[in-house]
Amino acid sequence: MSAIRENVGRVGRMNWVMNLAVLLLIATGVLFIFSATHAREDSTVGLWRQQVVWAAAGLLCYVVTALTDYRHLRDMAWGFYAMALILLVAVLFFGTRIYGARRWLMLFGVGVQPSELGKIAVILAGTCLMAPPADKFEGRPRMGWSFLLAGVPMLLIMKEPDLGSALVCVPLIMAMLFAAGAPVRPMVALVVTGVLAVTVVLAAVALPEKLGVSAETQDRFFRTIRVSAYQRDRIEVFLQPGKDPMGTGWNKRQSQIAVGSGGLTGKGYLKGTQNILGFLPKTVAPTDFIFAVIAEEWGFAGAAGVLAAYAVLVVAGLYSAMVARDKMGRILCVGIVALLFTHVFVNVAMTMGLVPIVGIPLPLISYGGTFMVITLFSLGLIQSVYVRRQGI
Amino acid sequence: MVTGEAINLELRRIRTILFVMLGAFGVLVGALFLLQVVHGHDYERSLRNQSMRRIRLPAARGRILDRHEVCLGDNQPCYCLALYLEEMRRPGRWTNTVAGVKQTLTTLTAIVGRKPLITEDDIWAHIRLRLPLPLVAWRDLDQGALARLAESPTDLDGVDVYVEPVRCYPKGELAAHVMGYVGKADFSDPGEDSDFQFYLPEMDGKVGIERVFNAALAGEAGGRLVRIDASGFKHAESVEREPRTGATVVLAVDARIQELAEGALKGTAGAVVVLDPRNGDVLALASSPTVNPNRFVPVLTSAMWDQANNDPAKPLLNRASAEVYAPGSVFKPLVALAALESGRVTPEMTFDCTGHFERSGFRLGCWNLQGHGIVNMRRGIEQSCNVYFASIGTLCGYEGIEAMAIRAGLGSKTGIALDHEARGLVPGDAWKRRVLHEGWRFGDTCNVSIGQGALTVTPLQMAVVAATLANGGTLYRPRLVLSVDDGGGPYQTNMPPVVVRQMGWPAAALRAVRGGMHDVVMAPTGTGRRACIEGVEMAGKTGTAEFGEKGSGNKHGWMLIFAPFDQPRYAVAMVVDEAVSGGLTVAPRMRVLMNGIFHGEGAGG
Repeated sequence: MSAIRENVGRVGRMNWVMNLAVLLLIATGVLFIFSATHAREDSTVGLWRQQVVWAAAGLLCYVVTALTDYRHLRDMAWGFYAMALILLVAVLFFGTRIYGARRWLMLFGVGVQPSELGKIAVILAGTCLMAPPADKFEGRPRMGWSFLLAGVPMLLIMKEPDLGSALVCVPLIMAMLFAAGAPVRPMVALVVTGVLAVTVVLAAVALPEKLGVSAETQDRFFRTIRVSAYQRDRIEVFLQPGKDPMGTGWNKRQSQIAVGSGGLTGKGYLKGTQNILGFLPKTVAPTDFIFAVIAEEWGFAGAAGVLAAYAVLVVAGLYSAMVARDKMGRILCVGIVALLFTHVFVNVAMTMGLVPIVGIPLPLISYGGTFMVITLFSLGLIQSVYVRRQGI
Repeated sequence: MVTGEAINLELRRIRTILFVMLGAFGVLVGALFLLQVVHGHDYERSLRNQSMRRIRLPAARGRILDRHEVCLGDNQPCYCLALYLEEMRRPGRWTNTVAGVKQTLTTLTAIVGRKPLITEDDIWAHIRLRLPLPLVAWRDLDQGALARLAESPTDLDGVDVYVEPVRCYPKGELAAHVMGYVGKADFSDPGEDSDFQFYLPEMDGKVGIERVFNAALAGEAGGRLVRIDASGFKHAESVEREPRTGATVVLAVDARIQELAEGALKGTAGAVVVLDPRNGDVLALASSPTVNPNRFVPVLTSAMWDQANNDPAKPLLNRASAEVYAPGSVFKPLVALAALESGRVTPEMTFDCTGHFERSGFRLGCWNLQGHGIVNMRRGIEQSCNVYFASIGTLCGYEGIEAMAIRAGLGSKTGIALDHEARGLVPGDAWKRRVLHEGWRFGDTCNVSIGQGALTVTPLQMAVVAATLANGGTLYRPRLVLSVDDGGGPYQTNMPPVVVRQMGWPAAALRAVRGGMHDVVMAPTGTGRRACIEGVEMAGKTGTAEFGEKGSGNKHGWMLIFAPFDQPRYAVAMVVDEAVSGGLTVAPRMRVLMNGIFHGEGAGG
């Protein structure tokens, strides 16, 4: 009996503002998955029902995780990390090939994206690394090890290839190190180096035509740095949207038109013309481009509202970090918030045409089973830290 | 215990992270505001004006011609009646439009005189899935219906005749096994952005030349931009890229000879291959029974395919190159050449045929039970004497025969430009140990010496052997395609004759074997005398091969021919699935074919 009472008490101590935001976002997701698919004939029509099932499973996971002490993670984190690495290797060999990339692994009849597991594994293992047991903080956190820890799964994910998911690991590990008290200067140096590298790649895509560098030299350069043709296309389209309005530029343009034409209050639920008439890329409307559907049908008001709900999650997550009873709780919350934030930011920016198109879903809203359960599991961890906060 | 200072640092940093993230969200909201509220009207306008879709326009498939440019594979326009639903859009809900469309369909049914292919569900599906594309309501309109439509006084907005190029084979069944047929393409590799555009189905070659040269024949689809606004109205259209017609494939086949070859097989199952021994050109490649590939277009239903595929007569099987037969006596010229090459046999050497051959406990009957008496090589070939060939075969030894068969191209693909080519089998000690788990025996050598045993060949391989005997020992790869012409594009090729190898047969040996083959047709007692035609000296070899259970009486009949004897222009191999013997069943058919080639209408080239 006391165990039950204790757990009921814990449920009461959860951050209910955050719970509310989570539920609102999930409901919005289901509504708009329906909207993005209702006008269609094929098998995607029932996607919203599947999403409800996944959300239910995810919410159960959310509550159970919230009630469980996050400090048990210390025993499991490395095993989880090893399992994620194994799956990431396995997907390269046994993964289902879709559009030339192996990102999906069939496990017991369920399709799983190991890259999603990889990201959360980096957070869990990184937390254990940066917050040693018994809270005995000695000097600086182990930066080198942290980068190695994030680097291995990143390389494997890039190999699929899924550049977008791989790059998500960067802000993640950076935020965790920063919060763990790592010296700022080497991190800044690293960021600057990264930005420089990206600039070089972008310049290589955009400049040669103007500078008169031959196509062969360009090809050799991209082969050397391993940027594939379609990645190059997408960067090019991002830089010069007018170049190929009917080919690769299609997504970006149509998505922008959908968002832009939404206006202040939108065209009304189920009335988005871009969406219904199939201008939005069909396969990704319920997944990576769902924010475009929301922005078209609910307008600026709805889109900003969704962003506000995410802001609530960010605030609640970082608040949990501040009131956490130990360093492990702090780092864990920061990592999870960083993961959530990166996904939201990149996805929304991509929908608006501010960054190149990468396959990054919108947490809690985009259609997708693995990602839904993992997001809710990680948000459950934030609640677990919050439930066991200081002074309780 | 951790110092408070360290914890304070961490808390400060978490607060920094919070501000950065909220700031970033602020930037996003600002950008959203700019995009949706400040510039919203621009995008609304572009939604109206610049919503374009790219429609894929299928390319007409390339033509397939015979060597004299007779067209064997062409396209014909398939007149369809299509509805452009967006032009039929009525104000208000789509239900209004669908009601209008149904009304139009009723009017049209009266004019066309046939029920439409589509139901109301199809209309709804089309509206949802591929609105800018024409919705085909009738296919294959005849001239009468087209005329009535043109004269129809009714105001028919959004109804138009839509022309699709559809594969057709003007000569029907002619060379069906060479041509193959086309079917709906599998979009196995749609690429990254496939779903973002509309694709019209295209056809793919499934067998034969259609498949082997599919990439060249397919051409390149074009694209059309269709400008439509958000309510579904089409504003204007412009062709972005014209479709490029596929390449023309010119075959070495001579339609006249192909027709004769198929005529020679009328009413029986079998195959004929006619080669030009001077360069390996495949002048005809026929297999019977056959199918009319026009039946498979424009849509090959699975029922039709099942029917053709399960037919016990196997009309889809290309017996000329994809089926193997025991060669029987048509293998004997190679045995003779191997024996002569071994040096242990000369053309003049004689053997006494008593009607059977018996040695080391192995007994083999000659087809002539009375025996051929004293036989030399020329007479041995003319009479196809089994005792003679068992004798020289065992004198020569199996290694020599095996090597000669392999050098003559048996047991491996000829490399003709067709799919599903069979290899056949030249058995040997290693093969027998692997498959039957026992060693090579004396009896096996005797059997192979008369073309029996496990030895199998394709009619095409035997035609190559005949052509090589005809031209004095140059083994050409059968050349089925002379050129691919796509107007200088990436598939442009000319295919010169390819010499696989020189057999290096000594002139004396060749003279002896060819002399025997000459008598087969030209001597009054020759086994192939029934193939003889007026005014042309020919040489050949008949064959009869048992198959199935021993003693079941199932026999293939064979005949090889090359002609004219002195300067051969044709080398032929013919096989008939169920025959009494090569001389009785195949030779008369060969006569029809050769007579047609030399004396028929259009002959003289």
